[in-house]
Amino acid sequence: MFENLTLTAIPAEDEALREPVRAFLDERLAGMAPDRRARSWSGFDAAFSRALGERGWIGLTLPKQHGGGGRSLFARFVLVEELLRAGAPVAAHWIADRQSAPHILKFGTAAQAAFYLPRICRGEAFFCIGMSEPGTGSDLASVRTRATRTGTGWRLDGQKIWTTNAHRSHYMIALVRTSGDAGDRHKGLSQVIVDLSLPGVTIRPITDLTGDAHFCEVFFDGVELADDALIGNEGDGWAQVTSELAYERSGPERIYSSVVLLDEWLKHLRQQPGPSQRALALAGRVLAATTVLRCLSVSVNGLLAQGQSPVVEAALVKDLGTSLEQMLPEAIADVLGEDPDATLPEGLLRTLSYTAQIAPTFSLRGGTREVLRGMIARGLGLR
Amino acid sequence: MHNELEAAFGQLLAARCTPEVVRRIERGEAADGLWRDLADSGFADALVPEAQGGAGLALRDVLPLVQACGEYALPLPFAETMAARAVFAHAGQTAPAGPMDLDAVATLLAAEDARTLLAAINTALIAGAGARVLALSLQHAQQRVQFGKPIGSFQAVQHQLAVMAEQACAARMASQLAFASSTHLPDRSLAAMAMNVAGDAAAILVSGSHAVHGAIGVTAEFDLQLYTRRLLVWRTRGGSPSYWARKVAAQWQASGSPRAVDFALSTLAGATSR
Repeated sequence: MFENLTLTAIPAEDEALREPVRAFLDERLAGMAPDRRARSWSGFDAAFSRALGERGWIGLTLPKQHGGGGRSLFARFVLVEELLRAGAPVAAHWIADRQSAPHILKFGTAAQAAFYLPRICRGEAFFCIGMSEPGTGSDLASVRTRATRTGTGWRLDGQKIWTTNAHRSHYMIALVRTSGDAGDRHKGLSQVIVDLSLPGVTIRPITDLTGDAHFCEVFFDGVELADDALIGNEGDGWAQVTSELAYERSGPERIYSSVVLLDEWLKHLRQQPGPSQRALALAGRVLAATTVLRCLSVSVNGLLAQGQSPVVEAALVKDLGTSLEQMLPEAIADVLGEDPDATLPEGLLRTLSYTAQIAPTFSLRGGTREVLRGMIARGLGLR
Repeated sequence: MHNELEAAFGQLLAARCTPEVVRRIERGEAADGLWRDLADSGFADALVPEAQGGAGLALRDVLPLVQACGEYALPLPFAETMAARAVFAHAGQTAPAGPMDLDAVATLLAAEDARTLLAAINTALIAGAGARVLALSLQHAQQRVQFGKPIGSFQAVQHQLAVMAEQACAARMASQLAFASSTHLPDRSLAAMAMNVAGDAAAILVSGSHAVHGAIGVTAEFDLQLYTRRLLVWRTRGGSPSYWARKVAAQWQASGSPRAVDFALSTLAGATSR
């Protein structure tokens, strides 16, 4: 069962990327508070993204002709692992780098690739994902937002929601209905690239429980799109979006969402003269779990690098990963609270507070735990 | 070559170590016949250097053999014997004939290394038996009908099996780490991590497989118990998951890598360099 998930080594030439990336991040992020770094791939900083772009660290796997780095998926794994370890504010370019750019390369025309990819690689074009709608969450095939053919292109009407960073992005790749109605499910869906500066687009950020505003409501009211807004083939939206989700689920961000908190706590634990046995057992357990999960994540990356589409394996590793990510704030809070009179570092407490509050989203974003377990069950032949 | 080795050993166990044979040996019948089959196969000297008449393989090469011992609930310490015979050979001593456990090499190996070796063996046995109980549970979920349909079509059961599949994968990856050695001994840090993860996985695989099987799974007559009873033993034999967690913590305290990713990377370096 899933015997293709085997211990996989990262080639030395890709591992060599770690040192320059780490040196850059050490310098650039020096003094950044841990609870800001804990935002990780939710932390938005356009200037930081452009600085990464200048170093060639956006679109690392894209062909050089489009401004990319022409590197392997293993090189990207090393880069992303370092960005997450440092808690770098990567949200601005994150979606474009992880999935929009590879998606445009795979399904787009040569003209679309030439138009979007170089700007993505420079950190100048940010993307968001238009999937969820008010009536469409896990049941993605029920989307109602509609693109209707006009003489010159498409007219877009409808609404998206929970769109991360729509208010700070330039483009959205939206899953929309181009024929039939919501009852037709997977048929009649297509993907369009929406320039979010167009008339008729209204974006309203939604504040979350931590006080951050990263996800948004996006309204389309008769938005006129050019003919070339369509990406891929009309009617192939479902197959395309499924392929996009494999990129979305397979990366190391599905195991490292709480790693800044973990490191802050480990730093604190090391400074204790006599740490409790329970605290040490927890440290050992999460370090072991992190290491084995990382091996599983590298292994999924290896399957992608071979050109396979490890959709079920990615779901399996994501579910294991988010479980660890969610267990961490709970367990760390518990061992820290063993001594209610202890004075704890403010940075650690703020990081813990943020991570504990946001942790429920880890098993919602990118496909809920329940949806993923259903996919694994299908992979096991039960559906 | 390794696939052939694995296939040959698997075929041997499939033919000779049937559930019926396992039950007979558990009832106290002599295991001499089964042991002779294993000894005759030559696999017991897989880790012994070629110059001393063995196959000269490394720990990482024999992982499938030990996993197979778990998969077939082998009621003999074959993996332990294979490891002990290598220790004797490397000490320049002649190993006694017959099955033995790692106590036989207590004077030839540092206590820490002996314990680590047993932990590594445990991870592979858990990976093998874990794959077996997952397969049995899947089969049962597809055959057992309630409310007019196979219980495997119910979402609650599907999710339980999905969790078991995740844990089986984690245990298998852990065993690969524990065995990632080009010598006959495992890396202490990797084996400690691996046993912590595999031990936790074993508990979930045992409880999950029994939950899916219902009452039939706890009968002596049904095969599931041959594997789950062993999983419970291997999970804590020579140190429970908490014991190994504290070992990992001690290694982390002694290391120059306080941060989680750095500690993982420095530990994993042991998997490629050994």
